[in-house]
Amino acid sequence: MVVKLYGFTTSTCTLRVAVVLKEKNVPFEFIPVDLLKGAHKAPEFTAHQPFGQVPYIDDNGLILYESRAIGRYIAAKYASQGTPLLPTDPTAFAFFEQAASIETSNYEPFVSGLAWELKFTMWFGGKTDEARAKSLQGQLSAKLDVYDAILGKQKYLAGNDITLADLFHLPYGAVLLDIGLDEFSSRPNVARWWKDISSRASWEAVKGGI
Amino acid sequence: MVKLYGYPNSTCTRLVALVCKEKNIPYELIHIDLTKGEQKNPAFTANQPFGQVPYIDDDGFILYESRAIARYLIKKHPNQGAHLIPSDPKSEALFEQAASIEAFNFTTFVTPIVVEKVFKPRRGLKPNEERVAELLGLLQPKLDAYDLILSKQKYLAGDSVTLADLSHLPYGTAFYGAGFHEVFESRPNLARWWKDISSRPAWLAVKDGA
Repeated sequence: MVVKLYGFTTSTCTLRVAVVLKEKNVPFEFIPVDLLKGAHKAPEFTAHQPFGQVPYIDDNGLILYESRAIGRYIAAKYASQGTPLLPTDPTAFAFFEQAASIETSNYEPFVSGLAWELKFTMWFGGKTDEARAKSLQGQLSAKLDVYDAILGKQKYLAGNDITLADLFHLPYGAVLLDIGLDEFSSRPNVARWWKDISSRASWEAVKGGI
Repeated sequence: MVKLYGYPNSTCTRLVALVCKEKNIPYELIHIDLTKGEQKNPAFTANQPFGQVPYIDDDGFILYESRAIARYLIKKHPNQGAHLIPSDPKSEALFEQAASIEAFNFTTFVTPIVVEKVFKPRRGLKPNEERVAELLGLLQPKLDAYDLILSKQKYLAGDSVTLADLSHLPYGTAFYGAGFHEVFESRPNLARWWKDISSRPAWLAVKDGA
């Protein structure tokens, strides 16, 4: 039975899983969860994902949620097919963990906060908190200066090979570019890296929605 | 001996110290004076480009991001001290799920609350109480989900303690002690789990300074 991906067609976290599945050539069945109708808060959903968030997977009875955990599980289970996304050498693996943590703490809080203030809050009847958005953009800008220095010395965030950590940046990066917030182009190494990861066939296949 | 470049009271530095204690790994704390901005000096940023504590020097191997350091040390010493990351694929996937829950359903909200109520006052600044209330409002339903998960199993990834549980301790302890203990204590399973992990000898050894 193929992996079942329960999610929302354009949800950032759902796409984070989808791009990994594509990169690893893992077939999957997409089961849409209607967020706009609150399906993610219904008991049938929260029985599997107690935080009421998309996505989760059902891999032949193994239920797993949190998109980065799902990505790691898929990358490890299918290590021998598709693009290698997790290094095997212990030193390289440590640098992968460092890169994965950089994404978690030096990228995600700022890009997701900006995506909320500049796009998603409006979907729920809210309005942009301009001061907060400005603060987040300033902080993101400073972090991406560091990214530019790191990526000036190596091709990807963990070294010279692509890893999961690079792919994890795609969904929110794309959301911000889509609403006109471009903090990548002005930084030559970040721009090079972004162009590389965002033009991969796996991302092209899912970025418009599953 | 592992050299831990950090600040004794820093949350992220103490997470690494905690893991060293759990795994019986001797370490030497090299004191980086955050009050003097030492973490922004070129000598520091040469090794940690984001200018944040901690980083380690393990016999010449430099690594930063406390979660990455923790994972590296745990994987390097699988046969000593507590087993903090499972090795069978299913249990490891559930560990990754729990680790992601900590990062995105706990730390995302608890850290800025601690910044407002603990760190800002230390610098003579006033907390933004409106922001604290907003964050608390987002955190409470997350902790309801924690309480449900922990009603079925002893720890966040299953019935054995993992790094995912321990990762809650530094910011969680600051939050608990900043007048928010009722937020944990009012949820019986969460309270049981919190009492368990926060009374581990390894945490008691470092909680007041790495």
